[in-house]
Amino acid sequence: MKALLPLFLIAAPLFGTDYLTAEEAARSMFPQADRFDATTAPGLPPSFRGKVLVARKGGLTLGHVVIDNVIGRTERITLAVGVGVDGAVRRVEILSYRESHGQEVRMPAWRRQFEGKTAAAPLKVGRDIAPISGATLSCNSVTEGVHRILGMLLEARRAGLL
Amino acid sequence: MKIPHLTLLTLFLAALPALAQAPPIDPELAHRLETLTLELEKVKGQVTDLQRQKPAPSEGPSATVIGGYGEVNFKAFTQGDRSRNEADVRRFVLLVTHRFDDKTRLVTELEVEHAVSSAGDKGEVEVEQAYLEHQLNGSWGLRGGLFLVPAGLLNEHHEPTAFYGVERNFVETAIIPSTWREGGLQVYATFENGLTLQAGIATGFNLGKWDAASTEGREAPLASVHQELSIAKSHDGSYFGALNWRGMPGLLVGGSFFKGGASQAQAGIPAMTVSLWDLHARWTPGAWDLSALYTAGSISNTAAFNTTLVGQSTLVPQRFLGWYGQAAYHLWSSGSYALTPFVRFESFNTAASFASLGEGLTPAEAPNQGVWTVGANFNLAAQVVIKADLQRFHQERDQNRVNLGIGWSF
Repeated sequence: MKALLPLFLIAAPLFGTDYLTAEEAARSMFPQADRFDATTAPGLPPSFRGKVLVARKGGLTLGHVVIDNVIGRTERITLAVGVGVDGAVRRVEILSYRESHGQEVRMPAWRRQFEGKTAAAPLKVGRDIAPISGATLSCNSVTEGVHRILGMLLEARRAGLL
Repeated sequence: MKIPHLTLLTLFLAALPALAQAPPIDPELAHRLETLTLELEKVKGQVTDLQRQKPAPSEGPSATVIGGYGEVNFKAFTQGDRSRNEADVRRFVLLVTHRFDDKTRLVTELEVEHAVSSAGDKGEVEVEQAYLEHQLNGSWGLRGGLFLVPAGLLNEHHEPTAFYGVERNFVETAIIPSTWREGGLQVYATFENGLTLQAGIATGFNLGKWDAASTEGREAPLASVHQELSIAKSHDGSYFGALNWRGMPGLLVGGSFFKGGASQAQAGIPAMTVSLWDLHARWTPGAWDLSALYTAGSISNTAAFNTTLVGQSTLVPQRFLGWYGQAAYHLWSSGSYALTPFVRFESFNTAASFASLGEGLTPAEAPNQGVWTVGANFNLAAQVVIKADLQRFHQERDQNRVNLGIGWSF
């Protein structure tokens, strides 16, 4: 059974160098949604400590927004990955970046490379994702994070949990 | 009296049929056992997942993070005097970063070069970075303290896992004096269109350190007069700037400049200005990693200073410059293993010209030094690398060598 919570209960607190809230990111990814419900679907892996928002319009599910952390060189990078019901990435947003170098992963031109990717994509820096010179570790971390999130959503969807 | 283990086992086996005929367990108890078993499996899974996870830094607003990098190198000359062959803990570096709150952090780097630093050894202990950083908003921030000068491709990203070859390239060592750091104030900005801007004021060079009797200034003119913020003379200030564009994924195009006085108001040293600039590019289409850099530097008013040094072996050059082109290819990978061969050609001249001192007194300009480096980086993990390369010098053939090294960064 999916537990639904009001959005304000799961909005990430602002700390680190914060650029967007989870709510702002979700609304930019699914502007047509009239609400975002938090789900604590029991089928998600125990290691997953992030949040999943379900973008809805009326009774229709438009997609999911996963908020999660990855480790850059030494600090956490908080990202939001919007995924449509077709399993393809709508957009990747960096919500918080805390390291001294490498924050170029925030650049829209780099993040746009993820749009349309599904769990079937290689999602590997140097293969289908071009790196950023001087931000290699952050590029790898974000790319691996997106790959992991897509795989997790695919499994949950197959199990009928989303 | 001790009962042998075999006897106990025999008795247990003999009792099994009787146990099998025991009355069935209470269904409620069986259900509870099954629930407990499932819960136990779930907890075991969670523990395993936690053990596999990379430890995350504190999730609070403040946190202290320890990192580091290091390199252990070996070089063997293929021509000339083989007694020069050597193995060295080239660098051992510890980084401590502390985030005070959501906008302010301290970045420090403590380095030991050549393993041992003592009165009888060549090693050095250095504070390579010690700066405070304050983020003003989403794009702009300030740094103050001892920081790396934003010059070239390597100076700010000098960990062994970040470059190809056992040793750093010559151009960004002999011309751009990596690891080059100054004390000062820097403003930086990262824009969504891919532009990164860095600019500031800082300490600079001290030509009072020029040792005309040694060859140090001929090998790397600016490295021989840098101050590294060690009781640095600060009469003359410097200013610098760097602009980089990464607006197209995989492409970096940028440049930098640095300019500042270097006489530091010292008696007997005329007013002199050091200037250095560079243009650089890096492009990573698919499995390729291509980069190129050009840099040139100058020191003004050297004639007046060199007049006092005439007769000694190393006078102050007026111009020095260099460039390189490098191509690497991500040939093979499997899991965390990756093999990346590369080739690099660089040309540099640490004394491309001297100011005229009059006929017979002006030193001859040095010849351009060309170096081919061919080798490979083999990554055991993303941040652990084994390196091997072969270097061939156009001019000083007795410098031809084979290098081997390991490096790490975390």
